[in-house]
Amino acid sequence: MEQFEQLLTCAICLDRYRNPKLLPCQHSFCMEPCMDGLVDYVRRQVKCPECRAEHRIPYQGVQGYPTNVTLQRFLELHIEITGELPDPTAGQIMERCGVCSEKAYCGMCGHCDKKICQDCKGAHMDILRREIARINNQVRRALHRLQDMLAMVDKNLILLQQNCGSVAEEVDEIDRRLAKALKDRTEHLRQELDRYLSTEVRNLTQLKENLELEISNITSNCDLADKHMTESVEWDDNELMDAKEIFLKTVEFIRNFETETGDYQRRVRFTMAHDPNQLVNHVAGFGDLNINHPHTTAPGLTGSASMGLLQTPGPGLMRSKSDHRLATQFRQQEERDEDPRGGRLSPLAGRKFGERPAPKPAATDRYEGRYGRGGESGYGGDYGDYDAEGGSRAGQVRSKYRSRFRRDAQDAAEPEPDTGRNVRFQEQQNRERERVLDTEDVSKGPLSGITRLYDVPRVMKRLQESELKEKNKGKEPPTPPQPAPQQQQPKKTVTQRQVSEEDEIAKIKRQNKSGASSSDVAAAVPEAREPAAPVRPAPDRVASLKKAEEERRRGSSHEGSSDNDSDDGSSVSSMQGQRKGSLRARLGGASPPLTVPPPAKPRSGSTDSASTSSSESSSPASSTARNTGAAFSTEEVKQKYLSRGSATPSTPPAAAPAASRTQQDTTPPRFQSRFLGGNRPQPDKAKDEEEDDDTESSSEEETDSDEEEDKTKKKEEVNRMDIGPLLARSANARDSATATRRDSRDDTGTRQSSTASYRSPLSSRDDSGGYRSQRASRDESTDAPSSAGSRYGSAASTTSTPSSYTSRFLNKSKSSANVDEDESSRAKTAAVPDESTRYPSGRSRYAALKERRSRLARSRSSHNMGGADDMDDAEDLSATTSPSAYLASRGYGSSQSGSELARSRSTHALKSRDNSPERGGERDGTALSSWARTRARSVHALKSREASPERDTADRADRAERDALSQANISAYRSRARQAALKSRETSPERGAEKDANSPALSSWARYLKNKYGPRKEGKDGAASSASSAAGSAASSAASRRLSLGLPLSRHNSASIDSSDDDQKNPVGSPTSPTAATAAAAAGFAAGATSPRSQYLQKRRQLFQIGSRGSEPGAFTWPRGIAVGPDNTFVIADSSNHRVQVFDSNGIFVKEFGSYGNGEGEFDCLAGVAVNRIGQFIIADRYNHRIQVMDPSGRFLRAFGSQGTADGRFNYPWGITTDALGFIYVCDKENHRVQVFQSDGTFVGKFGSSGRGPGQLEHPHYIAVSSTNRVIVSDSNNHRIQIFDVNGRVITSFGSEGSEEGQFKFPRGVAVDDQGYIFVGDSGNNRIQIFHPDGAFLRAFGCWGAGPAEFKGLEGVAVLSDGKILVCDRENHRVQVF
Amino acid sequence: MASLPRRIIKETQRLLQEPVPGISAVPDENNARYFHVIVTGPEGSPFEGGLFKLELFLPEDYPMSAPKVRFITKIYHPNIDRLGRICLDILKDKWSPALQIRTVLLSIQALLSAPNPDDPLANDVAELWRVNEAEAIRNAKEWTRKYAMED
Repeated sequence: MEQFEQLLTCAICLDRYRNPKLLPCQHSFCMEPCMDGLVDYVRRQVKCPECRAEHRIPYQGVQGYPTNVTLQRFLELHIEITGELPDPTAGQIMERCGVCSEKAYCGMCGHCDKKICQDCKGAHMDILRREIARINNQVRRALHRLQDMLAMVDKNLILLQQNCGSVAEEVDEIDRRLAKALKDRTEHLRQELDRYLSTEVRNLTQLKENLELEISNITSNCDLADKHMTESVEWDDNELMDAKEIFLKTVEFIRNFETETGDYQRRVRFTMAHDPNQLVNHVAGFGDLNINHPHTTAPGLTGSASMGLLQTPGPGLMRSKSDHRLATQFRQQEERDEDPRGGRLSPLAGRKFGERPAPKPAATDRYEGRYGRGGESGYGGDYGDYDAEGGSRAGQVRSKYRSRFRRDAQDAAEPEPDTGRNVRFQEQQNRERERVLDTEDVSKGPLSGITRLYDVPRVMKRLQESELKEKNKGKEPPTPPQPAPQQQQPKKTVTQRQVSEEDEIAKIKRQNKSGASSSDVAAAVPEAREPAAPVRPAPDRVASLKKAEEERRRGSSHEGSSDNDSDDGSSVSSMQGQRKGSLRARLGGASPPLTVPPPAKPRSGSTDSASTSSSESSSPASSTARNTGAAFSTEEVKQKYLSRGSATPSTPPAAAPAASRTQQDTTPPRFQSRFLGGNRPQPDKAKDEEEDDDTESSSEEETDSDEEEDKTKKKEEVNRMDIGPLLARSANARDSATATRRDSRDDTGTRQSSTASYRSPLSSRDDSGGYRSQRASRDESTDAPSSAGSRYGSAASTTSTPSSYTSRFLNKSKSSANVDEDESSRAKTAAVPDESTRYPSGRSRYAALKERRSRLARSRSSHNMGGADDMDDAEDLSATTSPSAYLASRGYGSSQSGSELARSRSTHALKSRDNSPERGGERDGTALSSWARTRARSVHALKSREASPERDTADRADRAERDALSQANISAYRSRARQAALKSRETSPERGAEKDANSPALSSWARYLKNKYGPRKEGKDGAASSASSAAGSAASSAASRRLSLGLPLSRHNSASIDSSDDDQKNPVGSPTSPTAATAAAAAGFAAGATSPRSQYLQKRRQLFQIGSRGSEPGAFTWPRGIAVGPDNTFVIADSSNHRVQVFDSNGIFVKEFGSYGNGEGEFDCLAGVAVNRIGQFIIADRYNHRIQVMDPSGRFLRAFGSQGTADGRFNYPWGITTDALGFIYVCDKENHRVQVFQSDGTFVGKFGSSGRGPGQLEHPHYIAVSSTNRVIVSDSNNHRIQIFDVNGRVITSFGSEGSEEGQFKFPRGVAVDDQGYIFVGDSGNNRIQIFHPDGAFLRAFGCWGAGPAEFKGLEGVAVLSDGKILVCDRENHRVQVF
Repeated sequence: MASLPRRIIKETQRLLQEPVPGISAVPDENNARYFHVIVTGPEGSPFEGGLFKLELFLPEDYPMSAPKVRFITKIYHPNIDRLGRICLDILKDKWSPALQIRTVLLSIQALLSAPNPDDPLANDVAELWRVNEAEAIRNAKEWTRKYAMED
């Protein structure tokens, strides 16, 4: 038998002969592929493998050789004898395989849908199996997602409740806070108002009384003159002279007397830090519950639990690449379901079966044993589904066939397309049909619709069979993975569809099935999900399993789905809500704490007391430092007096070297240094005296204070006029300097005027002297106190030079170093509490200072007759107009050196002023000497240089700069100023504190000035101070939004001036006067105006987003251009919906206009939008190659342009913008240029041409114009941003291709804020980049993706005045707000 | 990798099930076309007692082209060079699809029994074999002892 079989075996393929052909040498081989393979096509001959005989190939090819009929008969005989399965390939013709194009018996492959050979099919099956395995792995790996989700659902349920609770609390809390803040503020304001009113009334009454008195006096005088100034009465000449003088004075007085008769209607104004409407809006919409429904965007798990609906497969599955193929495969299999008889008939590769349509339940066949497919012909209908699994692996792989197609099965309950299935079910399994359907219903996952494979009868059968086979035939290894599948490949070459046949098949199948299922074997479950009951008829089991499953699933998944659902939505939404809420809260809460002034601080009180105590010359005081200082000041004066009077240096008890400027408060070194100072300055003093004389004379000429006042008024005016342009000049380093300069100019003005009107020259002189010394001391102390030093960093180092100078100077001038030490130490001691409370104490200090001031004013009156020279200085200052520069530096210095310095300065001034009247003159003299010396070094130089009394600001700036170069002190200040400016441009967060510190410092400085110049001018000083504080802060935050600040600032200034004017009216100065409030407000304002830079630096998180894909209102399809309209509305070009949508600043849809077309008001894929100043919409109607202008309500106004390259014609106009003058700038993308039009559409100019050079453009996309008229163009294909001036000249360009910071890939949207910061939508890198106005990189954020702060294809970018950034996220069809 | 032709599977099965005496051929775990072969030195030959390792690779178009066989164990034989390459006609032009792995290995075994110095591959060996067969055989034995005997 063995040999018999061998005889029937082809020597080449070692298999049973298939179509044996006889060679002339009498050797036989299979025709295909064996004989085929032997052919030598070159020589057209065949070499017999056995005998090596060579034979010519017949004309028809190897087919032409005779068939070995004998052998064939033997083969048949053999089959008959052994009952071998027929060769399925019998009668088949070999075809070219669709894949390897080898000749073979081909069959349809479900995988590639081609007729392919077994090998390839096997490979494909392998692929399928591997894919299934892989997907299975994926499923496994992803399964935890579901589990996680389950856990999450539970957690989320709790979280949701918590979240809602907390949000509710939060809302309540905010409500409380807002209510409280509002109430507090209202009360506060009301109180202020009351207080102000009362003081004001008092003032006015007083003024009234005074005036009445004056009037009566004068009237009486007049009467007297009329009556008695005749010859009737005897007057001697002197009397007459006096009388004349009196009358002259009266005339002058009347002529010049002016009181603030100004606008009492609007004395008090109520200004709000924010636009009230906006505020109301803010409050009204102080928070939204942002409940997000993720389903709109992410169709993840649509949790409809109803059984009949299609369940979208989970994202995990969605993502698997092989998914589609799997799907197609399944479909193909379904379609094929009706004909898999072929497969069923030959489930094994057994070509030995003779006839295809003769399936035998050959359970004993050896092939069955070997290939495990013997008895399966019964369920061929499903064969196609599962043949891929190769028997042994069936278990693990089954997970998802059904799932995705459950709908097919169900929706198409009867209908046509699902032929295979339905046919099968109807015809083959009528009996089981219902149950099968049930099965499918029941065992599907409620969310995914995934069928539980174990419940599918066929699967069970398959498993059982494989088990059975394993048991019955231990001959073959159960699953030889490589060879077995090979052999198990079904041959499905037959694809006839014959219903009759099918019927028969169905019958057989049914029989088979019942038979098989009755022989129960436990399913070898790789995935032991449900231990199958081993002994139970399959249908039963299926049913029961199904039921159980169903119940279980239904329950859980119902829950799951709903939970999931609501949870997803609400959790996200709540999160957003929270975030939003908190943001709102933050925004809302930001202002109140700033504007609410902090409570008064005791410290200032103590200083006050100290100062007063010092006025009582060496009376015991609260602080030793103070004490010593005070004591010293008297001492000093004494010494000075001595030295001056006798010119004999009185040797102090403890003479120490000059280096004794130690930090100790001990008296001897103080004395010593003072003495050193006292000894030296003789020549200087002489000079001083000279000067004093000069000035004295001049002062005497100008004794008339009224004249002076006039002058100064004029000056003031000039100064004021300067302010505007100065303010307008924004954001450069000089800004701060100019601002302070302006402030100080104000100071000058007030000072001068005050000097003129109210002060005797002596006292002013006195003040300046005091000031001088203080200034020196300030220098010192800036150096000395670590706090100041550390705070100003490098500033301190620069001061060190001048400080040495100053110290020397000080020594000379006898405001000895020790005093300075005292001061500094005092400052230090003060600094501790002060530093910490500096900012909050602004107001309290202000109040305290005020108090002091009032006291001062009182005390000053007692010794107004100080040195006669003082006036000179004032006059010098005013005459030479240098003081502005000088004061600028001084003022700036004061602003820089901390508040304690200012305070110490003022106290020092106090001290010096507090000397007894007799000494006053002397003291003043000495002070003057110091002052004069300073002047000799600084102001003198200034004078000479500034002989021409120009008041041009530029000149002044220059001068100031020149001064800075020449004058050590001033240069120190200057440099400090510059550094501060630099620093402030950087605006590191710490700067903020410093900035805050500055304003009180300034105000105290101003207070000091006020002290000097009398109560009347207090207000102005205060105004100056508040202005300067505001300006100072503005300056220090040079980057702070200039324009937005500019207006409020000026408004603020005027307001504070007003109020402080009022303030000055009440000489007593109530502790909390409106001025204080304004000052505090100013401080608050200053603090509130955080620099945009830091703001931008923090940009990263999305505030909210608008829209999703769609065409309904509020949805987008490829949004492109974006612009900010009036009231911070968002205007968005919804490109592929051919419309413009408008949203309010909270992202709530307002309106839309436009539709598709080329008529008026119709768009075709519009790209850019812009809104001009009068609210008209300007739209780049891209595919219509025109620009349309709409009125603010969205009605068509006009259109201009058409396709072309001429002027005024476009080729795909893209970005569009408009400048302050209403000129329209259009990125004419395909013409690689920018065109400029008037607002009526008249062509104005163009610039740019295609290319890469400077000024050339390559597909410019978007454009923006800054407030400084810089035209910023995203030169997209050159990967850069170019900045032009309005005339089209290139100013600069930056960026190159890349993804580093500051590099671009196809930058698109550009925007510029009013500070000049530039925002670029870096489309290729999917990020937003922010640049300094000079193009230096500041920040970037964003990446590719669909989440918050992720982008897909950036388009337009816009920036709101509050710094929010709007971004059109094209492929995500949304607008994000940052 | 394309699936294994039925013929190779059959051959492999047969080799494993009905091994040829003195020859063992085991397919590699990773590559079913690669066989680890051990051939015992035929009795009466100078290689008697030696166990010679060979490698056998079935090329893609096997059986239409010959398997590639190479000695791994060093052997002193006129038709086998130092690299183990074998000069055997059925491995070259005389290959026939009707031949099988076992027949090839049998042929190789036969070649060991009957060296053919007239169709040499290792010329020096062949020369010696022709000139002084005794010494050549001694050498062969020596080599066998040296290389082909494990212990």
